[in-house]
Formats: sequence, structure tokens, C-alpha cells
Amino acid sequence: MMRVNLTLKPMGSWSIPIEAESIIPANFLSGTDLTVWRGNRELGLEEAFSVSVVGGADRAEDVEIVLAGKTARLKRVGEYMDAGKITVLGDIGMHCGNFMTGGTIEIQGNADGWLGREMGGGSIICRGNAADYCASGYRGGRKGMTGGRVEVYGRVGDFLAENLAGGTVIVHGDAGDMPGAEMRGGTLIIHGDCTRPAANMKDGACYVYGTARWMLPTFRNLGTVRHEGRTLIQFTGDVANRGKGNLFVGNYEYLD
Amino acid sequence: MTELLVKNAHVIDPLSGINGETMDIAIRDGKIVEEVSAAAEVIDARGMLTMPGGIDSHTHICGTKVNFGRYMSPEDMRAGRTPRRGPMHATSGYSVPTTYGNSYRYSVMGYTTLLEGAMAPLEARHTHEEFTYTPLQDTMANTLFDGNWSIMEAIRDGDVKRVAAIIAWTLSAVKGFGVKLTNPGGTEAWQWGKNVSCIRDPVPYFGVTPAEIIRSVIEANELLHLPHSVHLHCNNLGTPGNYTCTLGSLGLAPDLNPRRQTLYATHVQFHAYGGSGWKDFSSKSEPIANLVNMRPQVVIDMGQILFGRTTTMTADGPMEFNLYRLHHEKWSNHDVELETGSGIIPVIYRRKNLVNSVMWAIGLELALLTKSPWQCLLTTDNPNGAPFVRYPEIIGLLMSRRYRDAEFATIHPDTGSRVPLPAIDREMDWYEIAVMTRAGQARALGIQDLGKGHLAPGADADVAIYPIRIDEVDPSADYQKVIDGFSRTEYTIKRGRVVARRGECVVHGSNSTLWVRPKVSENYDMGKDPEFVEKFDRYYTVRMSNYPVQEQYLNRSRCIETETEL
Amino acid sequence: MNVKDAVCPFCGCLCDDIEVEIEGDRLVGVTNACELGATKFLGGERLKSPIRREGKAWKEISYDEAIRYAADMLLDAERPLLYGWSGTHGEAQCVGVHMAELVRGVIDNTSSVCHGPSVLAIQEVGHPGCTLGVVKNRADLLIYWGSNPIDAHPRHLSRYTCYAEGFFLENAFRDRKVVVVDVRKTQTANIADEFVRVRPGGDYAILSALRTIVRGKTDTIPRMVAGVTRDQLIRVADLCLNAKFGAVYFGLGLTMIPGKYKNIRNAIELVTELNRHTKFTISAMRGHYNVYGSNEVNTWMTGYPFAIDFSRGIAFYNPGETTAVDVLARKECDAALIVGSDPAAHFPRRCIEHLAEIPVVQLDPYPNATTAFCKVQIPVAVTGVDAEGTAYRMDGVPIRTRKVLSSDYLSDEEVLSRMYALMQEALKR
Repeated sequence: MMRVNLTLKPMGSWSIPIEAESIIPANFLSGTDLTVWRGNRELGLEEAFSVSVVGGADRAEDVEIVLAGKTARLKRVGEYMDAGKITVLGDIGMHCGNFMTGGTIEIQGNADGWLGREMGGGSIICRGNAADYCASGYRGGRKGMTGGRVEVYGRVGDFLAENLAGGTVIVHGDAGDMPGAEMRGGTLIIHGDCTRPAANMKDGACYVYGTARWMLPTFRNLGTVRHEGRTLIQFTGDVANRGKGNLFVGNYEYLD
Repeated sequence: MTELLVKNAHVIDPLSGINGETMDIAIRDGKIVEEVSAAAEVIDARGMLTMPGGIDSHTHICGTKVNFGRYMSPEDMRAGRTPRRGPMHATSGYSVPTTYGNSYRYSVMGYTTLLEGAMAPLEARHTHEEFTYTPLQDTMANTLFDGNWSIMEAIRDGDVKRVAAIIAWTLSAVKGFGVKLTNPGGTEAWQWGKNVSCIRDPVPYFGVTPAEIIRSVIEANELLHLPHSVHLHCNNLGTPGNYTCTLGSLGLAPDLNPRRQTLYATHVQFHAYGGSGWKDFSSKSEPIANLVNMRPQVVIDMGQILFGRTTTMTADGPMEFNLYRLHHEKWSNHDVELETGSGIIPVIYRRKNLVNSVMWAIGLELALLTKSPWQCLLTTDNPNGAPFVRYPEIIGLLMSRRYRDAEFATIHPDTGSRVPLPAIDREMDWYEIAVMTRAGQARALGIQDLGKGHLAPGADADVAIYPIRIDEVDPSADYQKVIDGFSRTEYTIKRGRVVARRGECVVHGSNSTLWVRPKVSENYDMGKDPEFVEKFDRYYTVRMSNYPVQEQYLNRSRCIETETEL
Repeated sequence: MNVKDAVCPFCGCLCDDIEVEIEGDRLVGVTNACELGATKFLGGERLKSPIRREGKAWKEISYDEAIRYAADMLLDAERPLLYGWSGTHGEAQCVGVHMAELVRGVIDNTSSVCHGPSVLAIQEVGHPGCTLGVVKNRADLLIYWGSNPIDAHPRHLSRYTCYAEGFFLENAFRDRKVVVVDVRKTQTANIADEFVRVRPGGDYAILSALRTIVRGKTDTIPRMVAGVTRDQLIRVADLCLNAKFGAVYFGLGLTMIPGKYKNIRNAIELVTELNRHTKFTISAMRGHYNVYGSNEVNTWMTGYPFAIDFSRGIAFYNPGETTAVDVLARKECDAALIVGSDPAAHFPRRCIEHLAEIPVVQLDPYPNATTAFCKVQIPVAVTGVDAEGTAYRMDGVPIRTRKVLSSDYLSDEEVLSRMYALMQEALKR
């Protein structure tokens, strides 16, 4: 096992973000001679981080990266990661786990926007809150997340799991506006409340255990069902979009 | 004075009648000359295949529609990004790259002249702005007249000279090069959400038929002595059974011009379909090629498709909507007042799809069954059939039966019974490829006398040197070498300067735009025709004085004045 | 002297039939323009020369000094922001893109705060549109949704839509029906045949409901949707289906509400659905006269219409992250060049606070709200008045604005080209 400890050094007066897509387990198998970018300047890993490596490994599965310091503006950590583990002790910046296909990312604080964008596999656990576009896709793309699992213990922002096409997304708190918009597959579970779930959905399953506010009027009510000990109201739609998805809600309110 | 001497070039230059001679090419101040002084800079081509710079006679690279293809496709943009590097600016995009992306990638493939296939006159200024940022090729624009109200009215009145006069005024105003008809009549019908079914179906309100539009505009085109012929995108693109419509359209062309064809039919692959629906969809390349073989007045281009992702874009608005209803991807449409329209959707051509497999075969068949390479030019209708960066693959397919068979084995298994391709043995040679990628284009566009498409003294010094030694490569077997060779020149020379070298562009460049000003008598100056002016004022939303494209939009203006019969 | 067919550099209508009266070096009269346009032509008190902040005072400096300052500022920055661009001509915008690419900065235009959501929607589902003249000559149904042209685009109705002469309409005024959808009764609503008053935030639900009705699935729809009765929705759907040519024009009332681009997407999908039955188009009521041109220029040069981040050399696009408002609010830039806009007048407070902390240079003929945050301001000629260049109308039609007056002011393009040349030189060394 190899453990890589990275502690972000304090940066200048304003917060130019650092992009660190080089921080994935596989890259540390061949050392720490990596670079990150602050704005348009390329920095050596050790210019930006205090680095310590404990133990050794031959494969990415056996590498764990532990990120400490003020990492809330650290972007693209874990991008294209395919194995191993990243643990973030605090908050993490945008685009954490983009395009990830395997391994695990655990964030003990909050995650900024686009957590797990276009993820294809692996698992992300966020103990705090996640911002907008958690488990979503890219602008103009037809498919968002296609596989893997994202679990957020706190709240999430707007456009959660937009264009969801596969995999599972679980939110224990509330979600913002329009979770599961355009979803065409996969499973989205929100334990709390949200507004306008599954707008324009084509396919897939969306569960809202709490209340769906501003429920869209273009889903057909199929009656109640039992689901994991809960009674939920099942809808199908989005009829506006010739959709055949399933939306299950604990409660709903139209904007009438 | 700058001089350059390319030594030991193995030249194929069909327009000069040169088929594989090792020789030197002398260049002075951007032109090919007989000889240069001893002070000339020297490039040793070491026997590599050397041809006139490539010419694309039908591509979509600049203007409103192309830019909208970019605008709506950030997912395509991120598929091909490069940073600023040396004299090269940053580029983005795969099927619809940025202007610099187009220019650099074409240059690396040895292309030095490009014809934008469709420019709406009202939006011409946009096309010319983008030309300025396509610095490594000379540019020209086919101008759309398919739904032009004044022209349809003149045709209804039986006044071909007036048709010609309107074309003359418009080309001069918008700095256009050739006359393009895209789904003639159909683009006007589409502004009511309708289409025309074939060449005998009258256009709503105007009452004229596509056949009348095609015939009259061909006559008008020849009255104006334009360098290029009418450039036709037939009605009914993409529909099963459309080949009869295509045969009917091609049959309309009389033989009026001894120097070139009278009708250029573009992306004919999309117009050579048999069957009554998608279920019995089949290739009708044979009857089309047979007709072309019998009619020297017709030139076509392939419109080859290759498997993969691309973006379709055409002035044919109704066709794009039908395509949207098949694919259910995103759809854009842009109708242009009194003139034309356009549509855009992204597509993926799949090997496992029977229709796509048949389409793939048809393009190749058209090229292989058309006897004269001068009559069937190599295109993909970029990016409709595939992005132009894939041209080398098409060259490989045309030159190698083995490559075709290998590809055929991977496509839909039912294709064989629907296409004649498996029975075709023909393998094209280097000379034929040179015709299909530059010499044929120059002749068809009527620009050989402007020094394009050949290397005779006086010609523009646009030269492509490919890292291929044709005596050492058997294209039938080593098709991968052919593909690699045509993908990246050793040197691309534009206007006497090396502009690209082994995949890198080495200068910023500056394009010339070729456009046409037909000289007409006072009586036929539509700018002074009261009826034309009044109609313009009442129904256009732009003032007539603000319509013409000012010359400052042309980086280097090359105006071709023609003597006309008006 | 009178100049005919001048082009109005105010809103996205880009009216090109303006007549201006010139006396010597002054513009004294404007005919045909709306009040907003006339005011723009007549102008106000301009800055005489570039100014630099020295403590609490302003000092006049030369163009050379000012341009040098700006070039150095951009070269020194780790993530400079180049913002604005909607109020200048295309040729200047092109130089701006080259500059952003060279210094590896973020370039963004005012779409960020107006029709950015429309762009995002188009990137999801495309855009069935047309030029304004197609609507003028054909449309028998007009829908203004969340837009109020009588106030914001005063000549839109008279020059291009309701009251304009149309080739295929016998009596344009009588033969066209108008539907207005809004959360309050606007001036434009007063001329509507059908006014649909939506509860705030309810547009998305209304659009979905209309799509469903057009699809013939009316029974799914509750009796009341976001303050609108199902009966009225059925009536509106029938109007659409019975039209020969319908045109939707939407404004910030649809883009800047909850759900943002999803509202526009839904409107586009409604129009696409209607195209299965009749002819329908949809277009954004673009604000600044050349905001659309800025989108066009950015697109052909970088691949993206706005919000382009060159920090890493290649173009990266992610509105919500690389948009000026987000970059400023998150304090993710360390210098700003502002051209042809006035962010301090429109941006949220957090953004303006960051502008106050970083060096800012502005190109603008007039002192404005952003002036207070500048280190240097460089006065330039006004495009369409004493400078000429290309602008793109809201429907994509490019028109060359005219220079109707001569002055000693440099154009945006001239100032930026000199700045760019200095930057290229510095990087060569």
C-alpha cells in the first residue's frame, strides 16, 4: 500500500483556482514529479503542496491519496481516475471525479460544482453538501453520468444528475431545483425534498422520499406503491417529451 | 523578389499532362516560373509525390450555418482542441472546427483552395469575415439562389435575361463566386413548413417548378459566362427512391460550354437511393453513373460518408427536419428572407446500420463506376458525410480493393445484396486521385486559367509534396501508407511560401478571395431597376444600400470580371 | 449634411434605416430611430483623453501610456478577465480573442447576464429560427414570451413583426394575432389578442403543458397550471396549431428566472413540436446591438459563444464557472479589461467588490459606473457614430455600421490592436 499525503500550501491574496487533474492514484506509481496549474502558470506539485509518500505500490488500486489544507478551490482532482482511493479531509473544488471510471473518492467536507461529471464507474462519497450539477453531464452532451455511484450525505444544489443515463445517485438531504432533468436512465434517489424533479425525463427512475414542490403537470399519476417500507406515489412521464420514465414521490405540490 | 526551387519533385500534374516525372519546380513571387536564379532558396523533394495544391470544390467551412454548427455543439468543440503554438492560433472542434482549425488541418493535408458550398446572400458578410480567418487557403463562395423570389418571378415571366441580371447583381454585391441551387424551390416551400416532392412539383405561390428553376438558372449562368457552372444540390436529398429525381435533374442539363460542364451536381451519394422506404433501401449508383458517363456536360462529386460522428448542415432546411425526426438529436433551422434557408443536426453513421452501410457503398460506387475521374470529384460534402480530415481514407478506399473488402466485412451483413460494390474491381491510380482532388476541381470550377490546379509556368505556386514515393508503394496492398501520406504533407507551399511542414503550420498566412463581377449593360443593372428596388425596399429588412459586402471584407480581393450577353 | 441608412448601435434590432443630420463635426438630428437609438446617436459628454487613477484623483495620460499599462497588466496576470464586447464592432472582438489566447485569460461577453441561458438551451436542443424578414413577410401569429419590445426594442413591432408590411399578408396589422406571456401586464400585453399571465416561476410548467396539449395528451394536464387555466392553454395551443406561420420572441423574462436555460429549452422543444404540424420559429430578443456578433466571433475563433477560459492554452468552456459573473464572484481573476459594457451597473455586488480589488482597465467613450473601479480608462470612438465595423443583428444578419462623423478618437479595434502588438512584442523577448 502507498499513501500519498498532499497538503495544499497557502496561496496568494486572491483565490486563483488550482487545476490538479494530475492528482489521481495511478500517476503516483511513478513518483511525485507532477505539475498542477494556477491560472495560466504551471507549478510543480511540491510548489503547491507539501508532499509525503508512505509505503509503495505497483498498481493504482493500492494507492491512497489524502488531501489536506484549504482545498475548496482545488479543481479537477480525480479526473479520469480508474482505480485506487482519494480522501479529501476538507472541502473540494469543482469537477472532482470527472470522467472517473473506477476507484473511490471520499470527501469529508463539501464538494463544489460538477462533482463526478460524466462519471462512468467507481464511487464517490461526499459527507457534506454538494453544489450544482452534481453527477451531471457536459454542456450540449446527450448523456451525463453513465455508471458508478455518487452518494451525498448533505444537501445538493440545482441540476443534480442532469442527463443521467446510468448508475446510481443518492442524496440523503434535500436537492435543489430540477434534479434528474432530461434523465434517460439510471437511478436517482433523494431522501429529502426538491423542486421540479425529473423534468423532461425520457427514462430511468427518480425517487423523492420527501416532497416534490412545483411538481410538473405533465406526469401521469399511476397511484401509490410500496417501496422499501415507504408508500410513494408513482408517476410516469415526462409526457411532454414522450418519456417513459418513472417518478416516485412521497408527496407533491403543483404550482397551480 | 522571393525565389524558391523545389528540386527532385516527382510530379503528377494532370492539367499539364504530367504523369509522374521527376523534375524541378521554379517559383518566383508566388508564381510558377520557367527558372529561377542561383540565389533561390532550395527544397529537396527527394522524389516525393508532388502535386498542385489540393482544391475542395464543395465544403462547408465558413458562414452563418457553419458557425451555428459550432455554436450549438460544445461537445464537438472539445473533441479537437489545440493551444496556440508558434504562428498557429488555438483551435477547437472535430466535425465543425474553428476557422483556424479548418485552415490548419486542410493545409497539413496539402489543400490550398476551398470553395464554401453555400452562402446566403443576405448573410454573405459573415462568410467573408470567416474567410479572413481561414488564412492558409484561397477561398470562394457558392451563392444560394434556390428560393430567390425575384428569380422565381422572372422565371414565371419567362425572362431568362432578367434571371441572369439578378444573379449578376447579387454575385457582385455579395462577392460570390458561383451559383448554387440547394433543393431548388424546396427552401422557399419550407418557409411554410412544406417541401417540393421532385422537379415537376410547383413551388407554393410562385408556381414555378424546380425543373424550370434549374433550366433557367443554367441558361442564365451561361449568359453571364461565369467561370463555374450551376452547382446543384438536387431535390429530395436523403430519401429512398430519390435517384429518379436525380436522373431527371441531371437530364435537364444541355451541353452549353466547351470548356467545362454545364451542371455540377454535388454530394450525389445522398441522391442515389433506390427503394420505396427504409426497408428496401438500396444503391442506385449504377443508373446515375451510367447517365454521367453518357453526358460530358455533367460533373458530380461523391459526398462520401465514413462511419463515425459528424454534423450535417445544408441549406436544405426541410431535409434536415426529416433527418431530425429520424435521429431525434438536436435540430437547428435558419430560414433567410426572400432567399433560402438552412438546417443543422449532428449525426453518427454506424457500421451496424444497414442504411448507413449502403450509403457508404454508394459514394465509392459513384467514383468507381464513373469512367472519367474528371467527372466525379472527391468530397464528403464536409462535414456532412465525414469531416474533411478523413479524405485520405477515401483515397485509400478508391485505390485499394483489398481495403474496401476489409471494410466491407465489418459493415451490416445485408449490405451485399443491396449494392454493386463487391463486384467492382477498379483500383484508381495516383493520376486519377490527382484529378479527383485538384485538377478536376480546377477545371470544374473554371479556375485553371486563374492559375489554380496545375503547375505550369504562370500558375499560382500552390504545391503539395507528400511523403510518398510512388514507385515504392503499392497502394493496393499498402493502403495505410497511402492514408498516412495524404494525411500530412512533407511541405505545403501556398503562393510560393512553405506554409505547412510535417503537420505544423509555419506561417500565419493571408487568403485571397475569388469572386465574380459579370459586366452587364445599363439596362440589366438591377441596382437601377425600379421594380427590383421597390421590392427590395418593401420586403427585405435590410436597406439595399447596406446589403452589398464592402471590399474591405476581402483580405485579398481577386475579382473575376466576365463579359456577358446582357 | 444628411447621412441616410445609418445603422443604429443601440439594441439587437440593429435598424439600418436611420437618417442623421451632421453639422460640421457635430451630430444634430436623428430621424427614424426610436428614443433609445436617438439618445445613443446624440451621445453625451465624452472623456477627452485616457485617464489614470492617482490616489483619489484622475490624471490625464497619453494613449501610449494607457495602452502600455493595459498590456502590462494583462501580461502580468495569472488569470486575467477580458469582459464586455457586446458594445463594440466585430473587428475589435476578434483582436480581443487573440489577446485572450495570447495571455491565457478568460474572455466573456455580456451573454453571461442576458441570453447565456439561451445559448445553453440551444446547445442542448438546437434552434429553429429565421431572419426577421421571414417573420415580417409571413407570420400570422406572434408570441412575445417574457419580453416587452415596446419598452426594450421599440421598433421590433413596427419594423419587423406586428405592424410591418408583409408580402403574404393582405393587411399585416389585422391579419396577425399576438399572444403575450408574462408575469405582469406589460405595455406589450396591452396590444395582445391573448394575454397569458403566469405565476412567477411557472413558465416551465406552462411550456411543458403546451407541448403535452399539442401532442394531444390534454387529459394529463390539471385544470390550473401556474395561474393559467387549462382552457386558456388549449386556446393558445389551438392558435399555434392553426397558424400558418408562428414566431416566438422571448426575453429575459424567460431566461433569468428559476430553471434558466431549461425554460428556453422547453420553449424550443415546443416550437420543434409545432413544426410537425405547421411552421414555427423562435428567437431571442438580444439586447446590445452587437452581443450576437460577439457570440459569432467567439464561436468561429474559439468554438464557443462566450465564457471561454484559455488558462491552459486550449479553449475551455463551462458557463457557471468560466462566466464573468462567476469568475468575479469567486474572486478567480487577478486583472480585468472591460470593453464595450458597464459591468458595475449590472453585476451582483460580490462581483463588483472583486473588481475594486484588482487592476481594471476600461475602453469606453463615456464615464460610467465601472469608471469608479478602473485604474485606467481609455476613451474610444463610438461604433456607428465615429467608428465603423461589423455588427450582427439579433437574427444573425451581419450589417456594417457606418461612420457618420469624423473625430480624433481611436476605435476599439485600433486601441486593442496596439495593445495586442505590445503584448506580442513583450512575449517574443
